[in-house]
Amino acid sequence: MARYVVYRLALALPLFAGAALLIFVAGHLAPGDPVQTMLGDRYTPATAAVLRHQLGLDRPLALQFVQYLGQIATLRFGTSYVNPGLRVGDLIGAALPVSLRLAGLAVAVAAVAGVGLGVIAAVSRGGPADRIIQFGVVLGLSVPSFVTAAGLVYWFALRWRLLPVAGWGQPGDYVLPVAVLAIAPLAFITRIARSSAGQVLLEDYVRTARSKGLPAPHVLVRHVLRNAALPVVTTMGLAFGTAIVGAFVVEVLFNIPGIARVAVNAIFQRDYTVLQAAVLVFIALFSAVNLAVDLSYAYLNPRIRY
Amino acid sequence: MRTSIPVSGTKPLAVPASAAASRRRRPLLRALGADPIAAAGAAFLVLVVLLAVAGPFAARYTYDGQDLDALFHGPSAAHWFGTDQFGRDSFTRIVYGARVSLSVGFAAVLGESVLGMTWGTVAGYFGGAWDQALMRVVDLLIGFPTILLAILVTGIFGPSLANIVVALVLTAWPGTARIIRSEVVAIRDRDYVEGARAAGATTPRILARHLAPNVVHLLIVRATLDVSTLVLAEATLSFIGIGVQPPYPSWGQMIYDSFQYLDSHPLQLVFPAAALSMTVIAFNLVGEFLSRVLDPRYAGR
Repeated sequence: MARYVVYRLALALPLFAGAALLIFVAGHLAPGDPVQTMLGDRYTPATAAVLRHQLGLDRPLALQFVQYLGQIATLRFGTSYVNPGLRVGDLIGAALPVSLRLAGLAVAVAAVAGVGLGVIAAVSRGGPADRIIQFGVVLGLSVPSFVTAAGLVYWFALRWRLLPVAGWGQPGDYVLPVAVLAIAPLAFITRIARSSAGQVLLEDYVRTARSKGLPAPHVLVRHVLRNAALPVVTTMGLAFGTAIVGAFVVEVLFNIPGIARVAVNAIFQRDYTVLQAAVLVFIALFSAVNLAVDLSYAYLNPRIRY
Repeated sequence: MRTSIPVSGTKPLAVPASAAASRRRRPLLRALGADPIAAAGAAFLVLVVLLAVAGPFAARYTYDGQDLDALFHGPSAAHWFGTDQFGRDSFTRIVYGARVSLSVGFAAVLGESVLGMTWGTVAGYFGGAWDQALMRVVDLLIGFPTILLAILVTGIFGPSLANIVVALVLTAWPGTARIIRSEVVAIRDRDYVEGARAAGATTPRILARHLAPNVVHLLIVRATLDVSTLVLAEATLSFIGIGVQPPYPSWGQMIYDSFQYLDSHPLQLVFPAAALSMTVIAFNLVGEFLSRVLDPRYAGR
């Protein structure tokens, strides 16, 4: 186990360093001169040279990369070239909790509802409830999130006026974004819970519990649900990753000030320092999630050793 | 050409692969006939491909031709799917959107299949240090979300179709490489490969004639399922606004545009949304059908 943890950590670090290098190089290959962007009308060769020196852009690239790594390590990420005076670290720091809260809520909803639906489908295997749930799983995995979002917004926000169309600040603003983010994780958690509950239902201890006369709900909750939930634990990371990526659609659509919208706005404004920082944060989140997933696999299934 | 030994040695050994392929072909169609859902998916894909290829030549409108006297018209004989906020014909735009979706999807899947197949075959066949080194790269990249890399590439280098395809290829190939590699590992010590090796076949020949034909069915399954992911990724990028740029239409962008008018003209969103969803679902149905028929590991399930 310890060896495996070390191996996975050793794999995560070069990925992150490589990503940082890639992002750094991409930023330098990007069209346009940040100094010209910042100075605008005040651009003269003299002012440009001064600013370039202030920003450290006249130093050797290798040195700039080391400085960039230093900025990452201290979570400051430099300043925005497009909006001078705006510290990228502050921008990310304000936006990241919003996205994480949304993703966390979506995963929680998906896990609870997914295990429940999966067990229901397994119990009524082949019956109408199972068929409906199975069909829903296929739809949830195939229909793009922004298409589902359109349906939800149309009925719940526009027709029935139960929820706000977009915006951020009220508790009601969470409902539709979390629902949209939860759909894909809900679908695959349901699928996994169904197959694992199906296996648990065949176990001797379930038959024993039933044959000694325990009430069906008791058997379901105490014996089936608990054991069926175990494989689902290992999909939490995948669910979280899906929810994080889903943020790009949801935050743009519902106008939520999360990190995905920060990244998208940075693209439109050609604000490379902000974009680089946002992408790095996403990669760090993803590396952490992947690490957690692989470690949970190894922990829960001792046969997995690399 | 040294002697007749390699030729006489490899020829009979190569037969099973091609015979298996021709034996497989007809049951594939028969299996499709026995599976109406997969058949419907396949038929829908044929329709979309035909529309994408021939549609622009048959269309009465152009994708950017505005008619300001005909804004937000509902479906009619003149405009099958109605018109949008600029009076552009929605059906024509959806047909052009199909071109974007399919060409990005197919180009990306071709790229990632070639890369993944080569990578996986080399890693699996040579094993040892090669395998270690090549598969560590795959381990590194496999968890990387498609959208994220696409956002980085198109965000910095601009949202051209070529950049979108490159980004999609870069994130899709590691999964293919992993699948191909495990299958190659499973078959590289089979008798017919040993036989070919013993008969003096060169390594490239063994790879191309004996290994590749026996993993290509997995590649087909994987590629079909991947197309749906890639089509969806392109639509998502265009939805966010960093994919295909207006006025050229794409489904994701049309869906985003119609969100602004969802309250008053919901039908404008229904058509591109249906086109995208049905295409993605159809690729998934056909891919899952192919994996049931072609992938022996599915047998008995």
